[in-house]
Amino acid sequence: MTAKKELQLAYAMAIVLLVIGILSYTAFSAKPPEEPVRIMFKVTAGKVLFTHKVHGAESGYGVDCMTCHHHPEDDDAALRACGDCHAHSEKTAAKKASNTCRECHEEGDLESEETPKRSDAFHEQCISCHKENEAGPQECAQCHAM
Amino acid sequence: MVDQKKFTVSHAPFWHDGSCIRSRSYHTMLAALPAVLFGVVRYGMPAVGVISLAVSSAMIWEYVMNRIMRRDITIGDGNAALIGLIFAMLVPASSPWWMVIIGTFVAIVVAKQIYGGIGGNPFHPALVAVAMLMLSWKDLFDFDAALVNYEFDFAMAYPLAALKHFGTAAVENFTPGALLMGNQIGAVGTPFGLGLIAGGLYLIVRGFVRWEISLSFLAGIFVTAFIFHQADSARYAGPAFHLFTGYTLMGAFFLATEDSSSPVHFIPMLIYGAGGGILTMLIRNIGIHVDGVVFALLVMNIANPLLDKIRPKALGKVF
Repeated sequence: MTAKKELQLAYAMAIVLLVIGILSYTAFSAKPPEEPVRIMFKVTAGKVLFTHKVHGAESGYGVDCMTCHHHPEDDDAALRACGDCHAHSEKTAAKKASNTCRECHEEGDLESEETPKRSDAFHEQCISCHKENEAGPQECAQCHAM
Repeated sequence: MVDQKKFTVSHAPFWHDGSCIRSRSYHTMLAALPAVLFGVVRYGMPAVGVISLAVSSAMIWEYVMNRIMRRDITIGDGNAALIGLIFAMLVPASSPWWMVIIGTFVAIVVAKQIYGGIGGNPFHPALVAVAMLMLSWKDLFDFDAALVNYEFDFAMAYPLAALKHFGTAAVENFTPGALLMGNQIGAVGTPFGLGLIAGGLYLIVRGFVRWEISLSFLAGIFVTAFIFHQADSARYAGPAFHLFTGYTLMGAFFLATEDSSSPVHFIPMLIYGAGGGILTMLIRNIGIHVDGVVFALLVMNIANPLLDKIRPKALGKVF
């Protein structure tokens, strides 16, 4: 192969692959699934990889959605993400919850709009369920990976 | 000095043996193909995107640098494409486009062209890029976080991270056979051990890489992992686990063996490979990073010129 042909081949390869690359990142990019498969919680005490789908699936632990997604009650179609109401810190928790409450409730409708911050809610929910069912990790380092 | 006798060679005409950089680059890419295709099948379009963008952007950076430095256009030799491909094999399939572009920029411009192009680079260009990205955007190289939306029929945890955080009990299900067959999550081109070994053997048989480096690197990993495992089997996994997961096989056949950053003499090659393997295990077992291949090989790249000073004594007396 002559140097000229070698170069032409390289140009063609670069252009074709660039087009494929751009298309892969735009038109054919993978869409995230509607229901999360796993969720990585990045926290200062060490990240936690939560196997969301395994917890909910019948072939997994078969936990009912409403066990964790407790509000609004008895409406599987209206499930909210945890972070919609449970904020990262106490400072932002009240504001965040209040904004979410406004989507359905008028101001003053509710006696309290306070929600525990996310870490407190998760600790309470995860550990109590694990203890109750005597399954799953209960110690800090069994979930949190530094 | 002017009268000093130089290397004596026979008279012309000479016969070119047919080897060239282009064939070397394309054969190496061919050897990487099984592992790359496995990555594409497993991760789908995101992997195609990462590979295509990495190869093309690496070639474009090389072209741009050739132009800026007013040198001959060298993208025809396939070396830039090869560096792009190896870089793509080392990153998660979900890597954002800007990370790929920055990665190939670092690999081609910072780690290769600034040193004068092919043959002048003291480090493997793809390793420099991955090290820089790993340190700058640690979260993007967390394979557990990067692949949260994928679901396969095996444990969806990055084996080396699971071992580091939860001990050997967490990786008992990763048998050597399963790891070899690619039943593990990881970068685009690293989980399929069998494919990497096949590619590596092809390169060794064709004479493109030196078996001394690959074998001593794997031996360094094996022996060090074995010693650690014997000392505390609850904390440190055995050698078979470490050989077939992470960047180990990629390092042995495609990273440690890069021409300009690895030694050429027999003893130095053994020291270089074994040193890389030992350092990898030290970083994995007692270091802060989950995988140690990248940093271990970069350290050995630095030692390369010094190692190559160990050379056979010249016959006879030199005046």
